[in-house]
Amino acid sequence: MSARHRSGGEAAATRRPRRPWRELLEAWRDQHFYSFFSSLGRLAARPFTSALTVLVLGLALSLPLFFWLAYDNARAWSGGLREARDVTAFLDPAGDAGAAVALADELRRRDDVAAVLVRSPEQGLAELRQLAGFGAALDVLDGNPLPSVLVVTPRAADPAYDPPLVAELRADPRIDLVQYDAAWRRKLSGILQLGERLVAVVAALLAAATLLVIGNTVRMDIQTRTEEVAVMQLIGASDRFVRRPFLYSGLWYGLLGALCALLVVVAVELALAAPLGRLLGEYAQGAGVRGLGPPLALVVLGAGAALGWIGAFIVVARHLASGRPAR
Amino acid sequence: MLRFDNVSKRYVTGLDVLAGLSFEVAAGEMVFVTGHSGAGKSTLLKLVGLLERPTRGQVHVDGADLARVRSRGIPYLRRRIGMVFQDHRLLLDRSVFDNVALPLLITGTPRGEIARRVRAALDKVGLLARERAAPQMLSTGEQQRVGIARAIVGKPPLIIADEPTGNLDPQLSVEIMNLFAEFGEVGTTVLVASHDLFLLKRMRKRVLVLDHGRLIDDFRPGEAA
Ligand SMILES: Nc1ncnc2c1ncn2[C@@H]1O[C@H](COP(=O)(O)OP(=O)(O)O)[C@@H](O)[C@H]1O
Ligand SMILES: [Mg+2]
Repeated sequence: MSARHRSGGEAAATRRPRRPWRELLEAWRDQHFYSFFSSLGRLAARPFTSALTVLVLGLALSLPLFFWLAYDNARAWSGGLREARDVTAFLDPAGDAGAAVALADELRRRDDVAAVLVRSPEQGLAELRQLAGFGAALDVLDGNPLPSVLVVTPRAADPAYDPPLVAELRADPRIDLVQYDAAWRRKLSGILQLGERLVAVVAALLAAATLLVIGNTVRMDIQTRTEEVAVMQLIGASDRFVRRPFLYSGLWYGLLGALCALLVVVAVELALAAPLGRLLGEYAQGAGVRGLGPPLALVVLGAGAALGWIGAFIVVARHLASGRPAR
Repeated sequence: MLRFDNVSKRYVTGLDVLAGLSFEVAAGEMVFVTGHSGAGKSTLLKLVGLLERPTRGQVHVDGADLARVRSRGIPYLRRRIGMVFQDHRLLLDRSVFDNVALPLLITGTPRGEIARRVRAALDKVGLLARERAAPQMLSTGEQQRVGIARAIVGKPPLIIADEPTGNLDPQLSVEIMNLFAEFGEVGTTVLVASHDLFLLKRMRKRVLVLDHGRLIDDFRPGEAA
């Protein structure tokens, strides 16, 4: 409290005594020491309630983290997909290899085409054989049913619109099927944006829940200490002094809750990393599961501590306001 | 040191608990406030410590007009008033030492000085040997003395005590009152609410008599009355 009552009319009895800064600093340190330990003592005095609060907070805070991890992994994993602009044309199987090369040359001469890759039916079959489980099934076939495939890379264009090339390929009688996933990719981007929003909403909701849970726990703490608070105020404790240990309690709850959330997330990560990595590895080469980095962990701890402090502040301020004499 | 000017107090319930109270207490004086139960003794003390504010009139403590003390200033006023309660109001989860140290902790006194002054206060009330004890381990009289040590440890110029001997037998009551009288001798102003007439006579200090919120007498036993 920086309110020094300096105005001439203000009561002399209520003027704060001036003291050298060094002594003030030591007093400040002593008082924080006191609050720090007495708040820990408060938590330890009711270990069951405290542990329950911390666990509830841990689970509540872990939820947005899981959402975020799912979103982050989905974004990373789909990154390549969303970048790819290739158009895949499956040719009529009736045509021979020469027809495929001819069509490829024709396409290469276009201005809006950057590159064309020809993959023969034999290459396709070899690739299929390499994929687990397909080998035996392919042996049953007597011929090669696969068509020639052209992978056409258009020159850069506005990703929001399909290039005209796609429509022309679709109209070409030599081509059986054109696969161009722009629409699907745009949808994927939309889903990811929604996921991002969802993470933010869930985080906000659970931050509010954290505030309430800590506020309520501190409120119960105050209720068991109404006499202590009253006595402190009678012997001249400032609001700050009364408030401080409760603020530290809130801070501890938030910090321990966040730590608990991180442990939950890490445990689940460890349990899922191997199977998930194998699954993802088959689709996207080299892309492992993205975990929780130290920066995010620090953010979570900081957010937990801040929420605890704020929750406690609100509750204690209410209690103190209710105990003042009316003017 | 203490001045009431035409002070009235009415609680929200509507009745005038104190009506037109005027008196003055000099520094270093020891004064009793007495009267029947419900006469307004506790209310009078509450006005001094700003536990309540008067409905009308002015209260001055140590030259300060309490009407000008805002909420934020109340803690600083109370640091200059040692309060003693009938039920001692010690914190039961701390030792005697820690209870007495509380007012000093609040004002941010250096740790070494806290230890020195707490021991001095406990010595004054004769409980130096019990500093590590929990309040529940003490007798009622000892608990009250710890309460007194807590009130004087900050060396306040004014001590107010509401029925400090209400729970004690006559022998202990006299001891406690003598303790208060000693503080008066070193310049501390002491204001004690009590309805124990035997004790008041024996102490031979100034007495303010309240009756239904009015000051009906102001005398010193053995002098005039
Ligand atoms: N907070 C309060 N609200 C309403 N009435 C009160 C309050 N405190 C005390 N009173 C009333 O004021 C009168 C004086 O009370 P009090 O000052 O405690 O008297 P005493 O201490 O002399 O017994 C009593 O009638 C009591 O009921
Ligand atoms: Mg009373």
